[in-house]
Amino acid sequence: MHGRPRRPAKPEDEEAASAKAAKLRDLQAQVLHNHHARTACRYTKEAIGLSFKLLEINPEAYTAWNYRKLAFQHNVKELSDPEAIKSAVDDELRVVEVALRQNPKSYGAWYHRKWLLNQKLAPVDFKREFGLLDKLLKVDARNFHGWNYRRFLARFMGVPDEEELKYTMDKISENFSNYSAWHNRSILLSNLLIQQSKGFESKQKIFSEEFELVTQALFTDPSDQSGWFYHLWLLAQTSSPDNPQLIASWPSNAAKLTSSLIKEKVEQHTLSSIWSRTVPIVLYFNEPVKGLNQSSVNLKSDLEFSKDIQWRPLTMADSGYSNCWAAYLQISNECSSLQEYSVEVNIPCSDDIVSRSGSNYNSPVHFTFDIELISNDTAQGLDLFDKPVAWNCSESFQSHGNRDPIPVDLLKITSALVEQDSNWHFERLSEEIDLFRELPDDNSKFGKLTLARLLLACAAIKSRGRSLIERKGYCEEALGLFTDLIHLDPSHKQYYEDERSLVLMDKLTCDMETFMNHCSVQVQPNSAPLNHVQLCRLSLTRIGFAERLLWVQMLDLSHNSLRSVEGLEALQHLMFLNISNNQISSFTALEPLMKIISLKVLDLSFNKIGAHSIDTTRYICSSPFSHKIKASEAFEEYQKVNINVEEYWDAIRFFRSLKLAQLDIKGNEIASKENFRTLVVTLIPCLKWFDGEDVN
Amino acid sequence: MPQHRARSRSRRPQHSRAQPSGGAPPLTPPQAAASMDPSPQSAPPTGDDPAAAADPELPRLTVTQVEQMKVEARVGDIYRALFGAAPNTKSIMLELWRDQHIEYLTRGLRHLGPAFHVLDANRPWLCYWMVHPLALLDEALDDDLENDIIDFLARCQDKDGGYSGGPGQLPHLATTYAAVNTLVTIGSERALSSINRDNLYKFMLRMKDISGAFRMHDGGEIDVRASYTAISVASLVNILDVELAKGVGDYIASCQTYEGGIAGEPYAEAHGGYMFCGLAALILLNEAEKVDLPSLIGWVAFRQGVECGFQGRNNKLVDGCYSFWQGAAIALTQKLITIVDKQLKSSYFCKRPSGEDACSTSSYGCTAKKFSSAVDYAKFGFDFIQQSNQIGPLFHNIALQQYILLCSQVLEGGLRDKPGKNRDHYHSCYCLSGLSVSQYSAMTDADSCPLPQHVLGPYSNLLEPIHPLYNVVLDKYHTAYEFFSKE
Repeated sequence: MHGRPRRPAKPEDEEAASAKAAKLRDLQAQVLHNHHARTACRYTKEAIGLSFKLLEINPEAYTAWNYRKLAFQHNVKELSDPEAIKSAVDDELRVVEVALRQNPKSYGAWYHRKWLLNQKLAPVDFKREFGLLDKLLKVDARNFHGWNYRRFLARFMGVPDEEELKYTMDKISENFSNYSAWHNRSILLSNLLIQQSKGFESKQKIFSEEFELVTQALFTDPSDQSGWFYHLWLLAQTSSPDNPQLIASWPSNAAKLTSSLIKEKVEQHTLSSIWSRTVPIVLYFNEPVKGLNQSSVNLKSDLEFSKDIQWRPLTMADSGYSNCWAAYLQISNECSSLQEYSVEVNIPCSDDIVSRSGSNYNSPVHFTFDIELISNDTAQGLDLFDKPVAWNCSESFQSHGNRDPIPVDLLKITSALVEQDSNWHFERLSEEIDLFRELPDDNSKFGKLTLARLLLACAAIKSRGRSLIERKGYCEEALGLFTDLIHLDPSHKQYYEDERSLVLMDKLTCDMETFMNHCSVQVQPNSAPLNHVQLCRLSLTRIGFAERLLWVQMLDLSHNSLRSVEGLEALQHLMFLNISNNQISSFTALEPLMKIISLKVLDLSFNKIGAHSIDTTRYICSSPFSHKIKASEAFEEYQKVNINVEEYWDAIRFFRSLKLAQLDIKGNEIASKENFRTLVVTLIPCLKWFDGEDVN
Repeated sequence: MPQHRARSRSRRPQHSRAQPSGGAPPLTPPQAAASMDPSPQSAPPTGDDPAAAADPELPRLTVTQVEQMKVEARVGDIYRALFGAAPNTKSIMLELWRDQHIEYLTRGLRHLGPAFHVLDANRPWLCYWMVHPLALLDEALDDDLENDIIDFLARCQDKDGGYSGGPGQLPHLATTYAAVNTLVTIGSERALSSINRDNLYKFMLRMKDISGAFRMHDGGEIDVRASYTAISVASLVNILDVELAKGVGDYIASCQTYEGGIAGEPYAEAHGGYMFCGLAALILLNEAEKVDLPSLIGWVAFRQGVECGFQGRNNKLVDGCYSFWQGAAIALTQKLITIVDKQLKSSYFCKRPSGEDACSTSSYGCTAKKFSSAVDYAKFGFDFIQQSNQIGPLFHNIALQQYILLCSQVLEGGLRDKPGKNRDHYHSCYCLSGLSVSQYSAMTDADSCPLPQHVLGPYSNLLEPIHPLYNVVLDKYHTAYEFFSKE
């Protein structure tokens, strides 16, 4: 549609133009007449000549192209002499050339040429074809018809991709703004690397050279777009992992878990109760995977638990892929108490576990942890919430005698695995970083963002040998860049803030020494000591690196700027969460918390829930009332007790899936609404404390 | 600007790193290094480059950059005049010259000069490029003219279905799209009933390749454009079924590139026109999840440049017609946020692979469809437009209007690609379609009217709303929808 010829600019000599048009009309009528004729003369030399004359003036006349195809097929049948056939093919090729001279974007002309070649009647003159393309791409280097034909020709003639790669280089040297050439380069290189062609066995070497090439273009003019696109593609190729790997788990290797059996009411027989305990096992991969099941993950233990272990993805999406997977061991009262049990987890190479890109899991992992069971029928469970839990932790910070507060082995899996292949990535990226630091244009947002991305890609390559100081340096520098970018490019502020939050979380949690400043063991009355992490007043807008927090039981994220809590769903041992004084604006933004089975205490106070009459996240999450009648039936019971279901459906959805003992929600617009307290109390029957007050 | 460039270049570090060692073909031939190395010693001025010859200190600009700077300067002049003007003058400057456009378009419908002979194979397109913008301007055609057009298009209708570029020519999917959209825009009983739907369906089946994709005409080329025009027409006249729909979505998904946009055919680079065609067709098939929408949105959003209009491909010049191709596509995504959100959540930390993988991960939508023959395809286009936007505009809707009103309008009527180019009917059609899309893009409620602050210039600039999947005026679409769902 686009690229159709436009009306010529100059008012030509009217008469001449009219005469020309009349001639064309006449021509067209005759060609169409011949096309529809059923007589033998429809493909005479004269008739074919007429179609040429028409196409010469109007290459868009696709009917004439078709006529020529039919005529060609008809006439060539009668030829046997290869020379004659070749000359017939040549004639056709010439017509196309003439037409392309008139309109280099004529779909019909380009297609006619491809069709002719596909007939395979005569040897193709390699030089002639590429010569034609050279000429046309000289006139318009971005003519996508030309590039399409070039790819077609290369495939058709079996031209090695290496040769084509050289051609893109020529084009880029003519004009480094020629994005079509850069683009074709990315296609060719991908192919060559996949096929492991000679000279292309080493990704490392090739990408190093490519980085060097594109960096030259970028330095020549940082404001030109083409090179940046290519650079982005390269970076994606360089930093993406080849195969999925397990980067963290909880319990981790050699961890000791103390687990107390809890008296739980069994719903059906209201009076009886059983001793039981659910112990989640969480596996965290470096990229979303699917296919975890009983056979791909082996669990062995002398502890008896329910036979059919189900692995579930912990994610908000229903695509089946997730970074984080959990299984829940149900330990029941049949196990005798006061004993230590060991659990063995074994993940062999597996065809079941695959990443989105289809790579299999091939980094086998084996680890063991212990669970110590305590059956304590007085102190545990409900008694913990005798008094509301206070978040004022200043006095509770005590290092706890004989217990190692934080599992030091936490990142062990990570460092052991990622080592082998990451060296060249790392070196390559470091070189790029050095170069980009010297990018002369101080205020180029492209430059700053790319440098930040390079630094992060580098920091993400975890390797034991790499110095932590170096790595934290990268984070530090990236933080500065994102802070600059927030001011430099305010229209993408939220994006930069989110990126900044991720880097900050990385920096604070990447080594034990720094991390320990935020960790403590907290002793609540009537409870075993809890692993406590405090990340307050850091201006975080989102959560990152949840894989390093899997063991946390008490988490304080108050006084940040969180807009979402995505990532927290991985924290399956979390019992206490404080996200007061943040920017949470809706219950739908809290959805990840619905996946945390152990959550007991939640502080949501002083957020923005209910502050906006139009909650944009509500659009994202379709209301059960907008389309599906069925879904609303589930809410009927609430309608019966006079709850305004239409107004509170997202609150209902959220609260009824939680088993909270304590909730703080003051300082949110929604908390001041009439009946809201009643609503919450109805939805959470086990709630004991609401905004600091005893519910009963 | 030029000074700044010069400064930034001269400060470039002299990094001397090892050249690629032997074995592999040299990726950096000497001439390449020379042209990209701006340091005077290693960049011998070549004869054909005036910039380098004139001043060895000044690095050479590529042709692309020079062209880009020229356009920026030209557009900059226009905008500076606007910002410097008094409020009254501003309002006049931002006016849509309705009367002139109507005059230009109506004149074209009655008579076209001989120079139009090159469009002889595109005559239904000429009808559409004039009839549609007139409808956008809410200008009714007189009955005789309408009947003439209907008669003319009837002569373009092939006896075996489909419409050709002119009487006697082969039926072609693109001209079929133009003809059907024209007839729908005329909207009369006579116009709508003139379409032979049974034959049209057979024609489309003939155009379907075994891969599922469509070819433009008998023995013609296969591309995304063909798939869109086929699906759009079939959906509009209510003949779309599983048979026509199968495989199309996968073909389109295979044309998405790493950039995020959609190319005309596999392995080509992303292109605004094809991207619109691909996305709109997928939505009409209810298979929008087959492409990576977040990266598609990212690509389109960044095609809007400092000139305020859209470019069609990476590093190309701004062009008014992409106000529709890019503008309408990104406006479509305002109703796809549910899918976008799903895709974003599942690809946290992970770059989603494009191409083949993209369709294998989300094919559940279509397998379900394949087994149910009762899919009401016409409903997808209908339901889509009933939906409200789930989010505000993802492009700068006011800036786009500014480009169209100030840079694309031609005083004598008609619209153009960019300042310095001539007006034509194609650009008039797509600039006005893009203007309509951007005026309505900030609405949250599908039934209301745009607020004055979302319409740049006087409120009388407001055009008729369109159905962006087909690019026909919304009222006309509803008439046609009712008409064809009766049958």
